[in-house]
Amino acid sequence: MKSPIAASFRLLLRDWRGGELGVLFSALLLAVTVVVAISGFVNRLQFNLERESASFLAADLVVSSAKPVPLEWRAKVDTEGLQRGETITFSSMVISDNDEMFLASVKAVAGGYPLRGSLSVDVGSAQPSSRIPAPGGVFLAPRLVQQLRVAVGDAVYVGDATLTVTGTLLSEPDSTSGFFGYGPRLVMNSADLDATGIVQPGSRVTYRLLVAGSSNQLEAFRDWVDPQLTQGQRLLSVDESQPGIGATLERARGFLLLAGSLGVMLAAAAILVAARRFGERHTDQVAVMKSLGATKRTIQQLYALSLTWLGLLSIVLGSGIGWLAQSAMFNALADQLPGEINRIGVTPYLTGAVTALVCVGFFAWPPLARLGGVSPLRVIRRETTIANSTRALDLLLGAASLGLLMLWYSRDLQLTAALLGAVAITVGLGFFVAHGLLGGTRQIGSNAGSVWRLALAGMQRRGNSSAFQVVIFGIAIMLLLVLTAVRTSLLDQWRLQIPEGTPNHFVLNVSPSDEARLLTFFSEREIEVGELYPAARGRVMAVNGAPLPDRDSAEGGARQREANFTSTDTAPEGNEIVEGAWWRAGTDDALVSLEDGFAQDIGARVGDQLTIRIAADEFSVEVASIRKVNWESMQPNFFVIFPDQLLLKFPNMLFTSFYLEPDEKRRVGELLDVIPTLTIIELDVAIAEIKTIIDQVSQAIELVLIVILVAGALVLIAGVSASVDERLHESAILRALGAGRGTLLGAVAIEFAAMGSLAGVLAILGSEAAGWALQTQMLELDYQVQWVLWPMGIGLGAIIIGGLGTFACRRVVSAPPLKVLREL
Amino acid sequence: MIKTSQLSKRVSTAESELEILRGIELEIKQGETAAIVGASGSGKSTLLGLLAGLDTPSAGAILLDGTNIVNLDEDQRATLRSQKVGFVFQSFQLLPALTALENVMLPLELAGIAHAREKSEEFLSRVGLDERLHHYPRTLSGGEQQRVAIARAFASQPVILFADEPTGNLDTATGANVIELLFGLNEEEGTTLVLVTHDNSLADRCQRKFTMTAGQLEEAL
Repeated sequence: MKSPIAASFRLLLRDWRGGELGVLFSALLLAVTVVVAISGFVNRLQFNLERESASFLAADLVVSSAKPVPLEWRAKVDTEGLQRGETITFSSMVISDNDEMFLASVKAVAGGYPLRGSLSVDVGSAQPSSRIPAPGGVFLAPRLVQQLRVAVGDAVYVGDATLTVTGTLLSEPDSTSGFFGYGPRLVMNSADLDATGIVQPGSRVTYRLLVAGSSNQLEAFRDWVDPQLTQGQRLLSVDESQPGIGATLERARGFLLLAGSLGVMLAAAAILVAARRFGERHTDQVAVMKSLGATKRTIQQLYALSLTWLGLLSIVLGSGIGWLAQSAMFNALADQLPGEINRIGVTPYLTGAVTALVCVGFFAWPPLARLGGVSPLRVIRRETTIANSTRALDLLLGAASLGLLMLWYSRDLQLTAALLGAVAITVGLGFFVAHGLLGGTRQIGSNAGSVWRLALAGMQRRGNSSAFQVVIFGIAIMLLLVLTAVRTSLLDQWRLQIPEGTPNHFVLNVSPSDEARLLTFFSEREIEVGELYPAARGRVMAVNGAPLPDRDSAEGGARQREANFTSTDTAPEGNEIVEGAWWRAGTDDALVSLEDGFAQDIGARVGDQLTIRIAADEFSVEVASIRKVNWESMQPNFFVIFPDQLLLKFPNMLFTSFYLEPDEKRRVGELLDVIPTLTIIELDVAIAEIKTIIDQVSQAIELVLIVILVAGALVLIAGVSASVDERLHESAILRALGAGRGTLLGAVAIEFAAMGSLAGVLAILGSEAAGWALQTQMLELDYQVQWVLWPMGIGLGAIIIGGLGTFACRRVVSAPPLKVLREL
Repeated sequence: MIKTSQLSKRVSTAESELEILRGIELEIKQGETAAIVGASGSGKSTLLGLLAGLDTPSAGAILLDGTNIVNLDEDQRATLRSQKVGFVFQSFQLLPALTALENVMLPLELAGIAHAREKSEEFLSRVGLDERLHHYPRTLSGGEQQRVAIARAFASQPVILFADEPTGNLDTATGANVIELLFGLNEEEGTTLVLVTHDNSLADRCQRKFTMTAGQLEEAL
């Protein structure tokens, strides 16, 4: 042949025109589109969610320190090309001109604050402002405005400084970062800090260095600063500061990558089916070409080049459609997401291209490569050499390449292994069971009516090809079941993480004499309130008689820790005892249970004697147990817990928690009017934000699930249409012989439904295995056998495959048999 | 032109070995027309496949235009076919995805012959299909399809043309038309023609007539 490239182009065009390439090209296009769309969507969602989560910190990375952050650290931030900001927070009494006073949580800010997220301040104009207060001005949280009875323009006194109220603080990004920073917020400019005279050596102040930038720069800074941290200094990133969010994001990412990998697998299955069909339909054509003088090399070259064109075309088109698809998915979430970040990066396209190459090379090529070996004798003897059984080696190579592709895509060995394992189970069991059952059905069939006999005989005669189809259907259904099951567990878990009515306000400093008044307040307003726990503020002074330094020493090491103490005789829910044992109820032994991080900070182990100070009293207790606390739970958690009897000896305060609907926020002010000495921690904003993120991610997951379901449906359609040809031919002959429509359609329906329910059985076995591996190993969810899926999988398999098959074969009963016979 | 010596073909089946051709001796000269007739299953299609190099014999030699094709591998035989051999089949064997013109062009393109389009158009017009160049096989009648196949066979100007039951799928009148075309073109092009047929009227038009009986060939003189 003169020019193989031009010839292959012509071949491709002619095949295209003849409608031969439709399924193969659709499958390739689907593969590229799904991969580009999902990985693009995941990238974009991740960019945006990370950005949004970063707003919890008002930065990407924060250095929190009990003393001023060294100058050279700030310089390092600047030389690394990162954005820099700073906050200084402390508690201070704020006084107004009308002599009202209130303990506020003061935050002094400067420069670029906030680096992530934004302030929202009511400054009296129509639109809320997002600027920080000018020197001399302060923003007050609404409750502080209420307590101090001030308005914009009034003066307030913070320490020695006189400042003017210039706005009401509606929201701030890092509102939750000072978890136990009591009191409503006051935001001031750090230029006024010296004038207050509050920040002195030894005063309890938290300095925060805010850093934002690209992940590479952040990594470099983190690596540089981490070894230099001393006691009282901590690095905070999104994951660490908000464990709830971090874990949520991690699981969502895992799920989306899983979905993407399933998309690739489904597409590969579709391509395998389509290429087989393409090869079968081209066997005669190749025999003719060979009889006309085409060599094996010519044939292979032609089809290799044609496939290359097809691959390139699907990469280009698939990238385009994939981009549009991720855009559409993203826009569907646009209401909830701050759609600031528009880029999806290069990786999705690269992944799409590599996917296309792997699919073409390992799934589409083998059946076509075998076309070169078709005997030209087929032109006179049709029965000669059927070139097209799928070889075990091809399947192994395909599985290996797919495994590598998924590994590269998800960067997760467990996920890849779980999915490939499930597919292996489905394939292995599939051929075994399908052969066995198909043999069995024949036995039944010979005793059954003619429709059944026809259907079952047909299925058995096409034994290998039926088994292949059952396996392909099984894989498709299995992957969809896995994804649906994982999605359901994930969403359930998230719903449980913050159930409706999770307490969003904590009340501290309830004196025993106020207890009755507090309970009356809540019952009158029909607000549900949690149990009252004793709470005392105290300090750990010494471990085993060795006093802890009361502030950070230059050489680091343990130091005194102040904390909220509580008492209970039952181990708190969601706490796991990792060392020691819980005490028996009613004990009056001097014991204590510590949170493990806290225990590490003070350097205490089970059996150690701690010296505790509450108010002016000092006493000694033995460490009975160390607990791991689930900080994701959003429940009251304590570092230090004593037996009930022990804390009773001390004058202590009570604390409790309650849930307020957003529109009942004024109750907080009312409560403080009734009992002014209370301290109320407001977590409603934080909880609402976490819920928002969970909702967004859940919706994203639903969307991606739909995309994958569509991909799965296409695989089923490809599988059914691949097997329609031979059935059409056979049915046309039967019809010519006088078989009625009912008989034929009945036989086809039974045949496909039987294959569908077999596929359903395989799918369930595979999906239970994969589901177990994925949920317990990868997503760290509990696994339960989804019994409800069993009848559903079998029934749906029968209905869907039976329906699709019957629909695809309906032509045979409507078209004249002669026409069908001639066209085939 | 074609010469075989001691040509035999055996195939193994599950039960036994089947001898399809036994020691065929055959010689056909350049420009001759020859018919091979015989009952179904007598082995005539097998012989045709061997002569055309579509299959390999179990023993013996086949000289095609001076080359012993038994010594060639599949690709070499394919190249030889593209240069010297044309085919007409009972079931036409047109590629369904290609138009009439493209079907005729295909062997020319495979052989790398220049002006494939012009030559194909010329031959299609010689078989009376110049109005149907861009029709697909499924829109052509059986007779028209076979005429396309004849145009395709002659377009690459082979030295030898094999025809396998060329009228087998056609009614008598259409078959007669196709035969006229086949012999007319054969005469004009000076091609050697070997055909396998059941059709005695077709066989009678050939200069030589061979009868195949149970794997053995005899010339009717």
